[in-house]
Amino acid sequence: MSDFSEELIRPTTEDEQGELCVRSGSGMCFPWLQKHIESIASGGKQEKDFAQTTSACLNFIQEALLKHQWQRAAEYMHSYLQVLEDTDSNKRQGAPEVSEASVETFNTFADRMKNIGITNYLKISLQHALYLLHHGLLEDANRILTQAETWRYGEKSSSQEVLVNLIQAYKGLLQYYSWYKKKMELSKLDKDDYAYNTASQNMLNHSWKTSINLCTLIQIPGVWDPFVKSYIEMLEFYGDQDGAREVLNNYAYDEKFPSNPNAHVYLYNFLKREKAPREKLISVLKILYQIVPSHKLMLEFHRLLRKSDKEEHHKLGLEVLFGILDFAGCTKNITAWKYLAKYLKQTLMGSHLAWVQEEWNSRKSWWPSFHFSYFWAKSNWKDDKTLACEKALGRPRLAPELLCPSPFSQRPGCSRGWLDSGEVVSECYIGSPMGKLRSDAKNNFPGI
Amino acid sequence: MDFPSSLPPSLFMTGPLGQSDVPDLSFMCSWRDALTLPASSPQGSQDSVPHVAKALLWEPDMPGPLPLLPPGPDPWDPGLTAKDLLFRGGYQFRRHPRAVLDVTEQISRFLWNHGDIAFAPLGRLLLENFKLEGAHSRSKTKTVVSVKRLHQDLGGHQPWGQVASERGWVGCPWAYLSQRQRRFSILGAPILSTSVASLLGELLHEELALCWERLLLDDACTGGALAWVPGRTPGAGQLVYPVGGAMDTLCFQKVSLTPESEPQVLSDPGRIQLRGPVRQVVTRSVQGEALLAVRSDHHCGLWKVSTQGQPAPLQVLQVDKGATGISLSPHLPGELVICSRSGAVCLWSAEDGLRQIYKDPETLVFRDPSSWRWADFTAHPRVLTVGDRTGVKMVDTQGPPGCGLLLFRGGAEASCQKGERVLLTQHLGDLGPESLHPMLHLICTQFSLYLVDERLPLVPLLKWNHGLRSAPLLARLLPPPRPGLPQPLLLASQGGELQLLHLAGVGASTPRLVGLPQALPTRSDSLSAFPLLEPKSHWRLQERLKAPTVGLAAAIPPPASTPALSLFQLSAAGDVFHQRLHLRADPGPNARAPAASWTPQATACCSRWLEALLEVPLTPPVWAAPTFSHRRLLGGFEPQKVEGPAPEGFRRAMAQGRLLQRRDLGLLPTEERPPAPEPGPEDELSERLEAAWEFGAAAWWERRRGGRAGPGKQPKRHKRRTQLSSTFSSLSGRVDLSDAASPAPSPDHTLPEARPQPPRTPPSQELTQEPWAQGVPSERQQTLRDYMAELPLCTDTPGGASALSSQTPSVRATPSRQHAPQDCTVQQLPRGDTPEGTTLISSQTPSVRATPSRPQTPRDGIVQQLPRGDTPEGATPPSSQTPSFLATRSGSQRLRKKPRMGF
Repeated sequence: MSDFSEELIRPTTEDEQGELCVRSGSGMCFPWLQKHIESIASGGKQEKDFAQTTSACLNFIQEALLKHQWQRAAEYMHSYLQVLEDTDSNKRQGAPEVSEASVETFNTFADRMKNIGITNYLKISLQHALYLLHHGLLEDANRILTQAETWRYGEKSSSQEVLVNLIQAYKGLLQYYSWYKKKMELSKLDKDDYAYNTASQNMLNHSWKTSINLCTLIQIPGVWDPFVKSYIEMLEFYGDQDGAREVLNNYAYDEKFPSNPNAHVYLYNFLKREKAPREKLISVLKILYQIVPSHKLMLEFHRLLRKSDKEEHHKLGLEVLFGILDFAGCTKNITAWKYLAKYLKQTLMGSHLAWVQEEWNSRKSWWPSFHFSYFWAKSNWKDDKTLACEKALGRPRLAPELLCPSPFSQRPGCSRGWLDSGEVVSECYIGSPMGKLRSDAKNNFPGI
Repeated sequence: MDFPSSLPPSLFMTGPLGQSDVPDLSFMCSWRDALTLPASSPQGSQDSVPHVAKALLWEPDMPGPLPLLPPGPDPWDPGLTAKDLLFRGGYQFRRHPRAVLDVTEQISRFLWNHGDIAFAPLGRLLLENFKLEGAHSRSKTKTVVSVKRLHQDLGGHQPWGQVASERGWVGCPWAYLSQRQRRFSILGAPILSTSVASLLGELLHEELALCWERLLLDDACTGGALAWVPGRTPGAGQLVYPVGGAMDTLCFQKVSLTPESEPQVLSDPGRIQLRGPVRQVVTRSVQGEALLAVRSDHHCGLWKVSTQGQPAPLQVLQVDKGATGISLSPHLPGELVICSRSGAVCLWSAEDGLRQIYKDPETLVFRDPSSWRWADFTAHPRVLTVGDRTGVKMVDTQGPPGCGLLLFRGGAEASCQKGERVLLTQHLGDLGPESLHPMLHLICTQFSLYLVDERLPLVPLLKWNHGLRSAPLLARLLPPPRPGLPQPLLLASQGGELQLLHLAGVGASTPRLVGLPQALPTRSDSLSAFPLLEPKSHWRLQERLKAPTVGLAAAIPPPASTPALSLFQLSAAGDVFHQRLHLRADPGPNARAPAASWTPQATACCSRWLEALLEVPLTPPVWAAPTFSHRRLLGGFEPQKVEGPAPEGFRRAMAQGRLLQRRDLGLLPTEERPPAPEPGPEDELSERLEAAWEFGAAAWWERRRGGRAGPGKQPKRHKRRTQLSSTFSSLSGRVDLSDAASPAPSPDHTLPEARPQPPRTPPSQELTQEPWAQGVPSERQQTLRDYMAELPLCTDTPGGASALSSQTPSVRATPSRQHAPQDCTVQQLPRGDTPEGTTLISSQTPSVRATPSRPQTPRDGIVQQLPRGDTPEGATPPSSQTPSFLATRSGSQRLRKKPRMGF
């Protein structure tokens, strides 16, 4: 529960900001500057105005929360609220949720907060709803969201608009849950049943409302994975494949959105469900490969490329494998090593030594010590014999000219030896055009 | 590698910092797990009540950290405070107070304390070109103002400083000189006064601004100078940290941790003396090989730590523009990345030498004056992050130079505030390739901490407002206490605050904070463990405990029933504090941190430490002893034939401008015993009181005088001279005279004489009277002085102090003259010495190839790679290169570093 005892205090207005942190000459803002200034001024008049009292109180609350002294924090919070109410100040927004509080306490607290911070009404409502959501009180959360949805204060600013959209989207998400539940119930019913018809009618209503709620938010640039996912599921259920494709394409390819790997994953999964041609799947995964070469879908991508008829795809397939194994978290991926050993053999038999050389050139300086050091040989052998064997199978193919000892020779102090032999290779490859190597290296690690 | 199948919702806005139009949705961070959970398990919607992440609570064993090691022998000075720098008046009239540098006070103090520096150069300039003559009289021209004379007055002129005014001498003691000076000032003021003042004021303002910036944020120690090198067994290891007044001795302290008790410090630490303060110490075990990288201001060094814990130097690198960060690769042994203030980032490996991979003197996102740069590794061994105050970029070392992708941008993307800047970036996958978060990066600003996944650049996965009251410059991610539990993330701020957060979310789930962040006790919380003290010592202890934190390390004791954690902190005063935490077995919903209490052992430890601390001498005050023009006084009269050696010695002392001593006056030391009260059989005081009672005090006095009149004549003359010389000695401030021959000390002579102290020349004499110092700017003089302080004065032993004190200037001047032509570039080379025993082995093994840097070695930012043992051409290694510094440093107490401009 203490997750929610997070305190969220930030200055909201420009005026406030000037008070809390003074900026230095370099444009940098130091929250601790005030302390310094106060230290020199303490000799003079003791200022005990409202701002100082409240900030001191705020500090106490913060301190008590961090030290897990809930009782004390609650006491301070109480007086803090009182101070704020007394002077009718709505500038400052503070919403520390004390973890001790039960749901009811939290409700009253949140209501109080909403009344104090009118400008932050939406934000607090959203927090409140999320809290209820977290505690499984979906109905209550829905009620709060509905209330907040219709709330208006002053001129409608763009930030308010975004918040309203977000609130609507969460409402949509809640509707999606109930829809999902109904869908589950429906799947249990017989199609010819009368109940089926009413249930499906209900679902249609739901989906219509939900789609309105969801689709405005996902037009705004951002990361909206849960919303997109549920929206797509509903669209697919009702057979609106084109609509779903459009939403996903927009989510994945709109320039204004951040490069979200999941957008491509969703699109790929959608296309796969749709049984799209392999060419199409490859083009989607190619972009994912550029963003996240270490994604677990890359092995699938490699399989697709391997099955493809095009020569360039075969080459890309090799690149993809190398790309996966570049990452520190993937060094023990047996499947990747297995694929590599197999595919290297295949490539070399297909007399494409140049491809292997190209990949190896950019890696010859560090792969030996990264993958094939004595240390790794030993620890792999100890932990996972299959992995050690796969690595051992792949390695000589990578640098066949290399007359290096087997990783199992247990030669002490061998790790240096590996490095040195790596340098021997570099001499062997001196003929390769440097410029090409560079550009390849870039392609090889796209997105950088 | 798994990527979270559903990311937490967040708005993506591009734009500058502090855009008010963007709603800050970062508050959703702590709620995000709640949002994603139902969506990620749509199949099990019945399970819509998500499991509440189990909150962890670490309980400290004691209410505060305890000192692990006795305090160092060097005094520590807390340095400048805001009070020294800021304008004090007029503050209360402002609604929003602003920091205003107090230049006027500083400049007046500077003119007063360093008149020679302030005025003499102008005088020297004028000397050649200035001639102010009156009308021709009959025989010769009448000189109105002789600049030569003025210069002579000013050249050695150093009026009484702060100390003198504290003694109550108000007004200029050189008032009798002022007639000439006043005449000159009336004549020259319209032209000269403004130029000097404005020039000086500008420089001073610059310096003050620099000091103020450093006070607000001292980024030199970013990353921390304390490291834990694990040993062969889980409970053993060593702490590596700098010690000494200048933080220039790298210390290797073996420590053994037990699951149930406080850590044990084993044996004497090994020491490596370096030529420069250590700013950052990084350690990492890669493929079973423990490496240690050390960053100083202008040098970086790499050591390899053997399994026995012996360090062996590998390579040293000189960074001309100043190094700001160093990181060791978690992937490849012996590879590290360093950044310099020039904006260059270089990959450095012991085998392949240096390779510049990035260079941009400008900052990444927007223009920021800071030259701080940082670099770290990522999950891809050939991709690095390069950071500055405005953002963080990922750079492919194999790609074309300059290309890269922004990982973090100070702007609306992360809903940054106005004035928010990056203070620290750290790759969280530094627990090796098996780390739970190999793709995560921690980014700290003065307001918040961000977690960024390198696969999803620009969109922080988590933002949390840390609320620390000083700059968070240190962070450590620790392995989970038990498999399945979240990883503790420690965050330490410069002011000493410590926060412990828990990071969960492995594999396909998004990283999130679990439980409430916890504030750990600070060093100031330990104050209650110390015995009660008198206010002055109490204040001193408080200051010491409040010293900024410059290092943080954590170690995990061997597994026990409850997981434990050992925290080590290094303070700027050189103290290592330790605290043990253990995981609370089952923190209920109402878990509250229980109040731990001090054990008798803890308080005993604190008292021992305090005793040692109070024995450490206080920092000698930064005050220059006055010197004055004596030539004029000497030139006034002809040497007369005066009998006896006394006037000869007197004249010689004056001519040399050194301190006047007893034997210069021809007095035998035996005669100069301070007059001690004579506890005779007859009680003089009561006698006198008795007489006074009977109104016979005057008669009594006459009687006393009459009784001593005869033999008292000769000593009386001496007494007057004694007073003169004691005036001199009080002029020289805290400079210790040879104590055996010392006259009655002036009452405010506060230094305890019992303490053996090497004799020192008053700094101002070094400044003004030595030829090497003539053309050297004051900061350089400071450097030189520091440097000279490094040189062991091999002949000075406390016993022979009286003989030496007169020779000191020449002793000092000799090495400095040798080095003066090098224009003060003191070559700071960490000497290839290792703690006890290893010295010979490591220095004899020719294992390190003296690899010349590659042809493409950048010459701009970071130059001159110096393999161990080589000396740069031209730099004559001073005599102190002999390994005399290993343990015996007590004899060479050095002068404290003095602030550059005398405040």
